[in-house]
Amino acid sequence: MGYDDISEELTNYIDTVKEDVVTGKISLLELELNPIFDQLKESLSIYNIFNYSQTYEKACDLLALKFEELKNLLNHLDNDEIFLNFLKSKPSDIEIEQVLGNCWRKVFHLESISPEFMIYSNHRFSKDRLITEKIDHVRKEPVGGSFLLEIPRQKFTEKMLDFYEHIKNKLPCKFDKLFDEFQDQMEIYESFVYILHLLQIGKITYEKTTNIVRYKNE
Amino acid sequence: MNEISIIMHLLSRRVNLHEFGASEDELLRYLNIKGKNKHIYLKKLIIDLSNYIEPLGYYVKFNPLNFYWYLSVNSEISNMFKTNPFEGHPSLAATLFCTLTCCLKNEGYTQIQEIIKLRKKKTLSEDLKELAKKGYLLIDHKNNEIRLTPLIGYQLDLNQLFMKLALINNETTSKN
Repeated sequence: MGYDDISEELTNYIDTVKEDVVTGKISLLELELNPIFDQLKESLSIYNIFNYSQTYEKACDLLALKFEELKNLLNHLDNDEIFLNFLKSKPSDIEIEQVLGNCWRKVFHLESISPEFMIYSNHRFSKDRLITEKIDHVRKEPVGGSFLLEIPRQKFTEKMLDFYEHIKNKLPCKFDKLFDEFQDQMEIYESFVYILHLLQIGKITYEKTTNIVRYKNE
Repeated sequence: MNEISIIMHLLSRRVNLHEFGASEDELLRYLNIKGKNKHIYLKKLIIDLSNYIEPLGYYVKFNPLNFYWYLSVNSEISNMFKTNPFEGHPSLAATLFCTLTCCLKNEGYTQIQEIIKLRKKKTLSEDLKELAKKGYLLIDHKNNEIRLTPLIGYQLDLNQLFMKLALINNETTSKN
């Protein structure tokens, strides 16, 4: 699809049409405006959009003018004559009521969704409400005589060195062997932490390939 | 709340006894639509809303008597609601019809005498009082004048009525 810039051409055409309408040469009601809008649509692209804005505006003005002409035409239709002609046939009251019969329409109106309700609700909901926060002070519970914080009897280093002395005789050995005598998970975990620290300070070494733990000096 | 919600609120409100909805200026003001293309933008919003609510049996309509936009219910649903305000009161319907005929000739107002002449009745004071009470017209006792309120433009589908009358006239003409 080609995107030729025909905006100037279209603008000139619209100007000519307007001139002809003003001078009374043509009536807009007899002129099809679709081709103008079709050409605008077909030749418009992102590359020529700036040139087209004025053309589009002029085409819309022309369309508005056409609507105006149509409005004038409708206003000049003899609506009152239609009413009078009907009354000339001397219809009865019931016949008149029947003519009006199907023409009644219900206006959609609900008080609950009217702006008055919206404004009323807005006033009600947008009020600042002062909520007094009640602060309950926490009561201090009396400390029972049996409550004592458990403190380990030995320091960590001492416990770690005790563990070192304990496994010293087993070394070198497989890593798993060091946990053989422990059944409790907590004890296994505690021993593992000691081994990590002993590795850290260089008291023992670990060979990943053989899975053997040794003295550092070996 | 988006534009459509605001328009729905404005179009469904009752302004007074004989007015519903909102004028174009009010819609523009409430929606804060400004600029060169404000009218085009508003029309687009109204069309979008109308398309959106059409499957539900509602329409956005324009009352040519006071230039207000409002929400209306389509004919099928209207028939379900018994919307005819003069059911069982044909005399009132006929008086309103004659008033409408006279007012159409005189840009919305007419002399009471003209209606009486058209109705071929001695007096219409009761009918006119009743119609005024219902909100369809205002009586100017001082000048003996009647003025139509915009209410009839909301409740009566004037286009449909014109079409119906045109068809009746055509039938009568072809018979003659």
